[in-house]
Amino acid sequence: MKMENILKKLIDALGLDSPTTMLGIPTEEHVLQILPTQLLSVVAKLGEYGVWHLSTITCLQDERFILLYHFWCFGNLTLRIELEPDDLRVPSICPLIPGAEYYEREVQEMYGIEFQGLPNPQPLLLPDNWKGGYPMRKDEHSNSSAAGEDRSKKLKGGLS
Amino acid sequence: MTRIVVPIGPQHPLLKEPISFLISLDGERVVNSSLRLGYVHRGIEKLAQQRTYVQNVYLIERICGICSHIHTTTYCQAIETLLGLDVPRRGLYIRTLLCELERIHSHLLWLGVLAKNIGLDTIFMYSWRDREIVLKMMEEISGGRVSHAVNIIGGVRIDLDADRLTMLESGLNDLNGRVEELIGTIERDRSFAARTRGIGKLTLEDVKSFCVVGPVARASGLDIDLRRDAPYAAYHELEIEVPVMNEGDVWARSMIRMREILQASRLAKQIIRTLPKGPVSTTAPRKVPPGEVVSRAEAPRGEVFYYLRSNGSQQPERLKIRTPTLTNLITLPEQLKDVQMADVSAVIAGVDLCIACADR
Repeated sequence: MKMENILKKLIDALGLDSPTTMLGIPTEEHVLQILPTQLLSVVAKLGEYGVWHLSTITCLQDERFILLYHFWCFGNLTLRIELEPDDLRVPSICPLIPGAEYYEREVQEMYGIEFQGLPNPQPLLLPDNWKGGYPMRKDEHSNSSAAGEDRSKKLKGGLS
Repeated sequence: MTRIVVPIGPQHPLLKEPISFLISLDGERVVNSSLRLGYVHRGIEKLAQQRTYVQNVYLIERICGICSHIHTTTYCQAIETLLGLDVPRRGLYIRTLLCELERIHSHLLWLGVLAKNIGLDTIFMYSWRDREIVLKMMEEISGGRVSHAVNIIGGVRIDLDADRLTMLESGLNDLNGRVEELIGTIERDRSFAARTRGIGKLTLEDVKSFCVVGPVARASGLDIDLRRDAPYAAYHELEIEVPVMNEGDVWARSMIRMREILQASRLAKQIIRTLPKGPVSTTAPRKVPPGEVVSRAEAPRGEVFYYLRSNGSQQPERLKIRTPTLTNLITLPEQLKDVQMADVSAVIAGVDLCIACADR
């Protein structure tokens, strides 16, 4: 089934807003704006229609945090979710797409978005003893990591 | 029942890059395993937001030492799309040529790693000897063996004259003979089959649910290849065959990759013969208009994904990079279930991991 038809069916079935587009290669990427509460039902429907491939999850920081779920299945589709500033939680889609685990863990540790029901919420890229904030946030600067300070103290202690 | 937990990594002779596995054993059989990433995390996504678009080309090339060219290709084409630049066809063809040479070099390197891991050192030496041919070709045309710095925003930096094209063609002919010999060897070799057949199996359902990409997916019967399904650069003008197999084990992955080498060499020859005339690049402005773009490309290991957001300045506001290894890694605990401890090395090598890519 073509992505355009899938989109049409999806919008009819769940009563969603009509899609917009962003640039892509070789064709434009369809963007569908949804609410965090609709995420699981939309992803489940996409699975029914045969869209299995989630490329990744991107997190953006504007006034609000935005999550982009990039799907690809012989056509492009991005789900866009804006999060409320005081509620940085979203359901984990791992039960539906097990391959989303690493993407969710990365967004969780880098931006502090909580994926509810994530089977293994351990850090993916950051050290186990990381005490800094969420490194990818805009107010976080690359040279102010608390873990870095920790380590240098340890090293000095060891040498003296 | 007592279980033994064997740590492999972060530093281990089996691994070429740092990653840590904890493998829990019942006798010689693997019961459970887990892995830990992050030992080469350099924060490249964050760094990219503090550098200009042009500086980022060189930063991004250093994500990976094997598939460096595909990263800059994906990044440059994202910016070119945002700018609405019309890249000259000759530039696109040369870019594609390097992509295919890189695929050959990456797959030959991988064959060596797998052969070394399963104790077939002769194949390791032969495949790395033959890899020198393609490395020399790339050095001759770009000046670098693995970091070519060929891509610039708006085209490529290098041009190919008639002498170089002849050199490439004869190099590819040499290589084809060597690769066919290698394929014949590993297809017939009983010890190679004994160490790879039926090992690290993934079914089509597993592959779909874990969003697996590249040769690992194609070895389990999933017929996807972005060069054919979402053509970028010059691929829409070239003939591409996609080898697919259904066994889903390390043996099938080896065969897929070996056939891809031959396919890549055919593509490279097509490019050499049909190389259009004209300039190789066009001038690109330093500032990029505001907008969002998604860019995908087929690396030697599968789909590379870039998301770029511009706010109209000289620096990207957000650059998201997802490499194929990160996706394929997630299947390792699944593949390692119930294999013998001695086969763990074959399974780990079979996926073709690039940890620097996965960590960024």
